[in-house]
Amino acid sequence: MTPPPATPIANPEPLSPEQDSKINRDILAVMSKPTLGYWMCLGTALFLMHLAGAIWVYQVYIGLGIGGYTHPLFWGAYIVTFVFWVGIAHAGTLISAILYLFRAKWRNAINRGAEAMTVFAVLTAAQFLGIHVGRMWKSYFILPYPNQRGLWVNFKSPLMWDTFAISTYATISIVFFYIGLIPDLAIARDRAKGWRKFLYTAMALGWQGTSIQWKSHSRSVLHLSGLATPLVLSVHSVVSWDFAASIVPGWHATIFAPYFVAGAIFSGFAMVLTVLIPVRRIYGLEAYITNYHFDNMCRFILLTSIIVSYAYATEYFIAWYSGVEFEKTSFYLRAFGPYWISTWIMIICNGVIPQVFWSKRARTHIPTIFVVATFINIGMWFERYVIIITGLSREYDPAVWGIYIPSFAELGIVAGSFGFFCTLFLIFLKLFPVIAIAEVKELAIHEKAHAGVR
Amino acid sequence: MPQIDRRDFLKLVGTSAGAVAATGCSDHVTNLIPYVVQPEEITPGIPVYYASTCQECPAGCGIHVKTREGKPILVEGNPDHPVNRGALCARGQATIGRTFQPDRFRGPQVRNEEGELVPVTWDAAIGQLAKAVGERPKGTHFLGSHPGETAAKVMDRLATSIGASRTVFEPFSDEGLRAATSEVFGVEGTPVFDLTDADLVIDFGSELLDTGLSATEHKRQLADARDVEQHIDGGARLVYVGSRLSLTASSSDEWLPAKPGSEGQLALAIARVAIESGNDQSLLNLVSGVSVSEAAQSSDIPAETIERLGRAVARGKKVVALPPGPAVTSRRAVGANAAVLILNAVAGSIGSGVRILPDQSESTKSSYKDALALIRQMNDGAVSVLFVHGSNPVFSMPEASGFAEALSKVPVVVCTSSSPDETTAYASIILPDHSPLESWGDLLPRAGMRSLIQPSIQPLYDTRALGDTVIGLGRALGGTTADSMPEGDFRAALERSWSDVDLRRAKAEGGVFEKLPAGEAPVVASAIDATVPMLSGEGKYTLVAFPHSHFYDGRGAALPWLQEIPDPITSVAWQSWAEISLKTADDLGVEIGDVISIETSAGSLEVSVYPRGGIRDDVVAVPIGQGHTEGHWASKACDGMPGQVRGVNVIDALSPGVDEKGGRAWLTDHASLAATGKTRRLPMLQWSDNKRGRQLGEVVSLSALASAAHGDHGEDHGDHGAKTDDHSSSGGHHEIHEPYDAGDDAVDDSPYRWGMTVDLDKCDGCSACIQACYVENNIPVVGEVETLRVRQMPWLRLNRFVGEGQADLPLGRTHPQANGEKLGDTDVRNVPMFCQQCGSAPCEPVCPVIATYTNEEGLNAMVYNRCIGTRYCANNCPYKVRRFNFYDNQLTKWPEPMHLMLNPDVTVRGQGVMEKCTFCVQRIQAARQTAKDEDRLIAEGDVQTACQRACGSDAIGFGNVRDHESAFYKKFTNKKRGYHALHVLNTRPAVTYLSKVIRGKVEA
Repeated sequence: MTPPPATPIANPEPLSPEQDSKINRDILAVMSKPTLGYWMCLGTALFLMHLAGAIWVYQVYIGLGIGGYTHPLFWGAYIVTFVFWVGIAHAGTLISAILYLFRAKWRNAINRGAEAMTVFAVLTAAQFLGIHVGRMWKSYFILPYPNQRGLWVNFKSPLMWDTFAISTYATISIVFFYIGLIPDLAIARDRAKGWRKFLYTAMALGWQGTSIQWKSHSRSVLHLSGLATPLVLSVHSVVSWDFAASIVPGWHATIFAPYFVAGAIFSGFAMVLTVLIPVRRIYGLEAYITNYHFDNMCRFILLTSIIVSYAYATEYFIAWYSGVEFEKTSFYLRAFGPYWISTWIMIICNGVIPQVFWSKRARTHIPTIFVVATFINIGMWFERYVIIITGLSREYDPAVWGIYIPSFAELGIVAGSFGFFCTLFLIFLKLFPVIAIAEVKELAIHEKAHAGVR
Repeated sequence: MPQIDRRDFLKLVGTSAGAVAATGCSDHVTNLIPYVVQPEEITPGIPVYYASTCQECPAGCGIHVKTREGKPILVEGNPDHPVNRGALCARGQATIGRTFQPDRFRGPQVRNEEGELVPVTWDAAIGQLAKAVGERPKGTHFLGSHPGETAAKVMDRLATSIGASRTVFEPFSDEGLRAATSEVFGVEGTPVFDLTDADLVIDFGSELLDTGLSATEHKRQLADARDVEQHIDGGARLVYVGSRLSLTASSSDEWLPAKPGSEGQLALAIARVAIESGNDQSLLNLVSGVSVSEAAQSSDIPAETIERLGRAVARGKKVVALPPGPAVTSRRAVGANAAVLILNAVAGSIGSGVRILPDQSESTKSSYKDALALIRQMNDGAVSVLFVHGSNPVFSMPEASGFAEALSKVPVVVCTSSSPDETTAYASIILPDHSPLESWGDLLPRAGMRSLIQPSIQPLYDTRALGDTVIGLGRALGGTTADSMPEGDFRAALERSWSDVDLRRAKAEGGVFEKLPAGEAPVVASAIDATVPMLSGEGKYTLVAFPHSHFYDGRGAALPWLQEIPDPITSVAWQSWAEISLKTADDLGVEIGDVISIETSAGSLEVSVYPRGGIRDDVVAVPIGQGHTEGHWASKACDGMPGQVRGVNVIDALSPGVDEKGGRAWLTDHASLAATGKTRRLPMLQWSDNKRGRQLGEVVSLSALASAAHGDHGEDHGDHGAKTDDHSSSGGHHEIHEPYDAGDDAVDDSPYRWGMTVDLDKCDGCSACIQACYVENNIPVVGEVETLRVRQMPWLRLNRFVGEGQADLPLGRTHPQANGEKLGDTDVRNVPMFCQQCGSAPCEPVCPVIATYTNEEGLNAMVYNRCIGTRYCANNCPYKVRRFNFYDNQLTKWPEPMHLMLNPDVTVRGQGVMEKCTFCVQRIQAARQTAKDEDRLIAEGDVQTACQRACGSDAIGFGNVRDHESAFYKKFTNKKRGYHALHVLNTRPAVTYLSKVIRGKVEA
């Protein structure tokens, strides 16, 4: 298998499929004319997204009262879902950056999908900051811009750190995603017609595949990996400080940063699996995303599951060991109070079910992986629900404890966030190669050179 | 493509940016019209106060109406008034709402053939009425509350002239007490009870602290008599006799959960023991009818307790016993009242604690007998015109009395209510009266007191004073009747009747006040009959219909804040509930919020239950006041459901019983209870009364206090008494941090660090402070639906904890629990909770936009304009005192004309903004202006916060922590009782709570 010759931009005629390599053909086939099933999926996703949009417009008009908030519970499903999506956004950069630095070659088949997911998840999460605040039309106050009123922001506030963490992460993720995409865009450009040709031509930035370009490209990826690696750890640490920096029983814990980062990676991998398994199946990419990849990802999930379970245990131990009545009560009621269902969903989905991955057979049995990954997604949403809601519902003054039940409006917007994410991902499937062609080829060449050595 | 040059481009950009900016302005400013000719007495920005008299209950407290630019914005107590001395209860303050009712009648109305009320002119309405009266003058009847001295005279003059009759109707009249006074002392009049310097007060169910005879006055007298800073022995002891742990019972030292109706026997038995222990032997023959064992049996109170109390009465220097209130006014009310008066006589309190004073004026007192007779007359067709004024008899007469039915047989019903109520629904002519703040009037509440009612605003609508309506009617009738009417209008008549005094001075002071006569009188009765009353019907339970502390007889239900501010005991707002004991709840298989049916011989009710430990097993108690079908706030109209009933009217389940002398009886019925299987969640603000041992409402025993006084203890937890020791392992309330100096928490060169003290020993939970806070700070009233979601906006709330609480972990429940009470236990801690203005405030660092910060004087300022609504501050506030505007309360919660009463000194908060208490910072600013003009610092007493001003027992103190010479500082640093809420969190609050003192049971 030889890489196709880089084609000059001037070449007026697209390559015919027969002239192309198998890898190119297979992967670019994903981008072919959408089927009815695709349109149905996209339609559903768009519907959810617009439904959420309508609810949000109404919410801005009428007020946050349409949510399930009550007096002691001022945060609800929006913040839960925000943290959920920030968590999802972790696997992409972990796979692209950290595994790149560790030269874990198996990442090549999945990194594009994971990176795309990261970008979309961050974009989804970022919207919740606007959805959540009471006066979104004044939310620009949170930016430290110079103004005549002499107003400044509060750098002591974790929400301030959050704003910077999320925006930095979104920027790096998008740049990383785009840099990685350039060689593949060139491949697509050479085979495209009409508006796609125009789009890819513009986006490929004149990529020719020359050795100087490749050298610059790999340098950029390396440096960006170096930049992105600390972000993987910092973003969710900062998000966790939204809670840990408070004095709410159940939030105020030093374990939160590592606990949240592990949870984020855990949920991120689960989401990668949830998305890639159907894509692989529908578009016949079994040759590229293999059992070997699934095995590795499941090992990651197993590791992070254990870390997360350890964090749960530690939280309870510290609540008991500290002897602080506020903490003890909060944690006792977390497990046996009105929110016991959420807590046990969390523990079973995140702590118990992933243990099947001790078995090699489970790690390579696709339906099992899909089911487990789905449970993890559910469990991780509930983890944030449990932390935020039970913490707030049982605070210091028992006279003003309360109960929060998400309203239909909030659930609609949460569903809409999945719609938004899926819409972006579905468009991505048809617009850009879902597998990094160049990197898979690199791997293929590498394997050929060291056949049987791996 | 047309060319756009640079200038055009800039114009376009400028215009479109301007347009965007213009549409972005959400504040609509309409019609700002300055004074063209400046009124002499008004300086914009400076409030003008008018003295007047409160008419929400017969106590006759003096009020100051604060007006700004001609509009009343707040009602406060009159500091110079002998009754209330500057304090005012929630009901009195809420009277301002009557002027600004959204559904007030805009002018006179007449019912047309289709049965609809249509607006007419005053001349037409009076003409129509005059025609009806003229046809059959003797068939005319006046029915209503006491309209004031001059108005009553005018009305009587008209009635005499045409041969009509007049009945005074007051649902909570003191007929039984008056009859008993006449029987025991031979004096026609209502006694005045004086608790000043008392050392034992026994309340036989008068509810002296909330709906009693003169609650604000008694509250102050009792608080002074119990002040532990003055009385090292704890001062006066309060004993409460009643079937449920009421507001008064919660503040008492000893609660005798007696069977309702046994008060008379109990009083006589106590009197008997007192006589046997050496008191006035001459009265022995009056009390010999009851033995202690008999009383013990009928009241279900141990004989030892009765004997102990009897000896305490004998020992006491000043013992005052208060008579049964409406809830326990039975068919034997005269006997029970007489027994209580005898107990006072035995204790030697007549002339000091109880002043027997004759009525000042004739025919002002209510007569239930006449009202019942009127029903018969109406049924017989003897009444052709019924003129109803100042009352709502359709609501407050029992359904079984047949009043409403009889009323529909009256051809012409005239109503002078200023807003719709149940009686106006029957009216064919509506001649709306002014609101209390628009009216002239006068009252003679008691001997030595002549109170003036004067308006503080021009009438908002085309209404007419009751006196003018009557004069107008008289003139329209022509002939001798017209001649008998006073010259000029009602105000002229009023001024003539006040011509013997300096009216200008009376207007400034709110009336003419002289010293209260001693009121000594010998006992003339020869026998007292205090037998236990019979109750109608079969059921297992006794139905106790008790006055709601905010609604009184139901009139308060029409006022928004009285609906919104939760009941201090149950924390239920906007709804009715039935209190049953935990055992009864178990028997019926119901939990809180489940609907039960209450059946009596007179009717039935379906209402949600509130099971509690603090009520007798054989009693079901339902508050009076809800169940209105009319009225913007009283019915469900404010939730967008006009004509929908809010709660139940318990009066409809009562038999129309009368006492021995024909006075109204409220304790009349047995009831049977049954679960209905339905559930209707109660809108409650409090989750639990279990404090879990947390440092939120502390107590100290009298002995611990005495030892602390000797300097044995510093500010450590040991002085919280034996009560807390049981739970010392529960954590939370230990003062583990070094005491800090709250004075540090302001910038160095500021002369001020504002702080507050709350004396829990004085706080009885009456909620007057909450009412004051609502009106002063423009706090929106959110309604029942939002209250169900616990989204009320009070900056000041009342936490009510029972005992130290259990910190062991109960299984979680999804609905609130309130069962820490025990029969006879009065360890109730009412804790007003508001922003603690922490020196190290958890809310501040988490705000990303610095919308909340510590200002230079140590206040946690809140910048509404800067707030974007992340709500993190509220999450991080351990006291949970921040409130969020989930909807645009600014626009939706101030219906026309309520916006007129907004305090112009306080921002009205819009959608998506957090708000909270800032120690009435607008009052601090006002005081600063004055101080600056006088070139001095703000002195102690210059600033009184709204809550402090309203408090009847002076439980709230406000001052400058940096002023170490002040009396406030002494209280603030009280080592014996002071503590900071949740001190363990080291938030450095600027509020010192002074522990409640547990005095223990009364010693013999």
